[in-house]
Amino acid sequence: MDLIRVADALNAELIWGPDDWEQIQIETVFASDLMSDVLMSDRDNMLLITSLSTEQAVRSASIVGSEALMIANSKTVTAGMIELAKDQDIALFVTRFPKYESCVRLGRILEP
Amino acid sequence: MSEERMQPLQSSLRVQELIYGLRISEVMTNKVFAVSRNCTMRDVRIIMKENAISGVPVVDNKRVVGIVTMNDLMNALEKGRMDDCVILWMAGEVQTLAEDMPLSFAISAFGKFPFRQFPIVNKKNELVGIITFRNINLALIRELSRQLREMENQQENPADENSLALVKVYQLHRYDFENGGKASSEIKRYLKERGISSKLIRRVAVASYELEINLVAHSIGGMLGFDITKDRVKISSHDRGPGIEDVDKAMTEGFSTANEWIRSQGFGAGMGLPNVKRVSDEFAIKSSVGMGTMVQAIIYLNSEEKNEDQRA
Repeated sequence: MDLIRVADALNAELIWGPDDWEQIQIETVFASDLMSDVLMSDRDNMLLITSLSTEQAVRSASIVGSEALMIANSKTVTAGMIELAKDQDIALFVTRFPKYESCVRLGRILEP
Repeated sequence: MSEERMQPLQSSLRVQELIYGLRISEVMTNKVFAVSRNCTMRDVRIIMKENAISGVPVVDNKRVVGIVTMNDLMNALEKGRMDDCVILWMAGEVQTLAEDMPLSFAISAFGKFPFRQFPIVNKKNELVGIITFRNINLALIRELSRQLREMENQQENPADENSLALVKVYQLHRYDFENGGKASSEIKRYLKERGISSKLIRRVAVASYELEINLVAHSIGGMLGFDITKDRVKISSHDRGPGIEDVDKAMTEGFSTANEWIRSQGFGAGMGLPNVKRVSDEFAIKSSVGMGTMVQAIIYLNSEEKNEDQRA
């Protein structure tokens, strides 16, 4: 599914994204605030949803090859995170929905 | 990359890598002069004099039970008690080191204890050697000359742009979460630029990142080294302490000594080391309280076989 559809479903605000971010393919969603768990994931074309709004969240997403990072609960995104997202070429969004609600909304459009 | 390789910092870090890479067994003197409990101080004096050594371990059935040093000998000599058994004069509390420890542990031990030599024991706790500063100096000179030759060869035949080969070391500091991850990101990019598959890159990046986080969250500081060839990525993490009390426990998923602050950063779930092992083809850990921890993880680049499905 195109990332732009995911972003629309969550009314998400794009903080930074590569030029072709709309077409990035998302096949799976991982929602967690525990980076230790994120680092165990090994899926491709993944969106990470987290309420942990830190540089380590961006870093962890990038380490596991996640295509995009969604900060839940309208958490404040720091300049350092944006810098890192650019550097790591990872699309960064903020949504006002909490993690659970974000997952429910995405579940409706991702699962047939 | 070859430019960076020539930086003096990188070369001095290679020296550090060296003292972690060498085992005590490769450095120690194998020929040990030891005496049994019922030998006299006079016997020890003769052994020391004839072999120009400054300490003689006392053994019982190959186990070290004490050590007689020059100091003990002088004390006995002063009191005119050279015919006493060694057990009356020896130091009974002996610090031994294991032969398979990295050389760095021995160097820390010299800093930590006042002794001038350490008896070395094998897994069965039997005396197999002895180590002094002289051994360490000689081994370092030997290894450094070898490395210097290697580096000179490298300079003469610089690696071509597309070569995968890389030796790089990063320093990490306690609680410096801001920089924890930089090394992994750099290595990830390096491998990506050279066309390594995303699955392999993920395994290297995860192992490296978990080790970086461990260094900043749990150690008092240390270094993370990468040695990449066309066949494999070798990641080694070395810290200066505090060391892990129970390595088996640390390897158990869910076991963690992390404090609240580390947890607030999204880590400290006790998955770090098990996760490094999970993504690695080869994994080794050595730790000693007060001396530090060394972890080595190897990921082969020619086999995707350790694929993610067969792992836990």
